[in-house]
Amino acid sequence: MRLDLVKLFVISTSETLEELVGPSIEIESMRMQASPDTSGDVMAIISLTGDAYGKVMIEMNLGTALGLAGRLLGEDSRELTPLVRSSIAELGSMAIGRAISFINDSGTRVGMRPPVVMTKAGAPGYEDRFETLVATIKTVYGEIGLNVTLQSLA
Amino acid sequence: MQSLSGEMAAAEHPLTCLIVDDSSFMRFCLRRMMDSFDNVVASEAANGNEAISEYERLKPDIVLMDIVMPGLEGVETVRRICESDPSARVIMISSVSYKEKVEEALAAGAKCFIRKPVTTDELRSAIQEVLDFDSQDKAGH
Repeated sequence: MRLDLVKLFVISTSETLEELVGPSIEIESMRMQASPDTSGDVMAIISLTGDAYGKVMIEMNLGTALGLAGRLLGEDSRELTPLVRSSIAELGSMAIGRAISFINDSGTRVGMRPPVVMTKAGAPGYEDRFETLVATIKTVYGEIGLNVTLQSLA
Repeated sequence: MQSLSGEMAAAEHPLTCLIVDDSSFMRFCLRRMMDSFDNVVASEAANGNEAISEYERLKPDIVLMDIVMPGLEGVETVRRICESDPSARVIMISSVSYKEKVEEALAAGAKCFIRKPVTTDELRSAIQEVLDFDSQDKAGH
């Protein structure tokens, strides 16, 4: 696990949230787990490709997703419409895109695939165990869990 | 309504814009920004192939292009559009903004690059820059 790179995802997500949602963003905790935390109602999953590969999963409860989407869309969101799902996907895409830009500029080639948004019911079960960095980021709309699994080909 | 360009706002024909992004949220946001400018008509495409056919059909004045999309991604889409129309005015808008990718997009024919998240002011400045560059270029020849 490339911890040096993984931490960039946490910092970039925090910075992106700060830019989009407001200044009161706080990284509450960072810990290593044997597998990702899939307890959230809504998950944005982004696959990473290249010299370092893996997955980033951003998970949150429904209230947090609706609050964030409402802020991003500039209008109240009361249910998980396709536009709300898309706003959560794009939030993840912006955060991870920022991280991989830093990583590429520092010499490691990493690409990303378009995000996929899932609800708890449709989320993949993680029978395999992947060492994962799990960070909790606090926003005014509730907590966001960031799960990063990254392996290096080198 | 905000004025985008004196020349454009006064023009008889509106400024036409094609928004290309696989994210319906981004298309929604960019359309809202474009709608806040005077005399602009925006259309949308959700992927690279759709963008190429819509570009051919509409010949828009400006294209706003994402990079990370399923299927044909943004840089290759720009390359194909600019090969068929070297005068195409494409502004890349992406969160993936490392030096090599920006250079690749500009080499493919994009006129400028904005990092997501984009603000209305950044978008207005970029469009203005591209339009101004084009009119200076024409005046110089």
